[in-house]
Amino acid sequence: MIWKIFLFLLLAFVSVAGIAFPIVENPSAWYQFPLIPGLEENAKIIFFHVPTAWLTVVAFFMSTLYSFKYLRKKNLDDDVKSYAAAQLGMIFCILATVTGAVWAKFAWGSYWSWDPRQTSIFALLLIYGAWFALRSSIESEEKRATLSSVYSMIAFVTVPFFIFIMPRIMTGLHPGSADDTNAGPVIDFKMNGNMQLIFFLSLIGFTILYFWMWNIGYRSILLREKLNKQLIRG
Amino acid sequence: MEQFLSQNAIYIVMIIVLIVWAGIFSYMLSLDKRIKKAEKELKGDKNEK
Repeated sequence: MIWKIFLFLLLAFVSVAGIAFPIVENPSAWYQFPLIPGLEENAKIIFFHVPTAWLTVVAFFMSTLYSFKYLRKKNLDDDVKSYAAAQLGMIFCILATVTGAVWAKFAWGSYWSWDPRQTSIFALLLIYGAWFALRSSIESEEKRATLSSVYSMIAFVTVPFFIFIMPRIMTGLHPGSADDTNAGPVIDFKMNGNMQLIFFLSLIGFTILYFWMWNIGYRSILLREKLNKQLIRG
Repeated sequence: MEQFLSQNAIYIVMIIVLIVWAGIFSYMLSLDKRIKKAEKELKGDKNEK
């Protein structure tokens, strides 16, 4: 229960700080953020948009982890956990795409410009979209679990490339691209200590929230499956 | 207070986001409790048989 209160306060604080702390040219107080050239007020998206992309990676990784576990032990519960994680991964992937597009309208001038970052997340959506199509097309529980586990493991191989590597080695509009005029990743060089702290607090808060959502998600699926089995038996 | 808020509209956004977060959080809490209860009931059913 304590961690739930902690989570509530943490994300409440991140919302307050992320939205209301002013951006000034020369920060002097602890609650002021530095002005990043080219981003200005738009820079505040980092507290809410980046965590969604981060959770996409965490969720797809968890999905693969439980797929691997399923293939080793053949316990159908692991397949359910993998499925619940991938569902959340897909939701956060869509959220990252949509929030990014809204932001891009005001930072780059249009919602969608096939920037390397946008192209790679689109490919990721297609890859994982196919995973759900695959799952829903197989009726046998064991066969579905085995096939989707194998697919999920192969699909995750593409995630680090699409999220961490490709958008950084290509030139593009997204902060952190190879030709970013301010040089280097946004996180390390352009944020001051306060901004970094709140950014990492936000990542921690969203990660805890993800695990809670995942927990509720797979428990409800397990519950439904147990009930179904009881109904068939009874 | 009202004048301050109407001049600094970002604080209104902040208050709204906080209210939304409180709503989502309490829904998650109640969902968690509901599932816990259902899990207990299912376990109880098994013991009876």
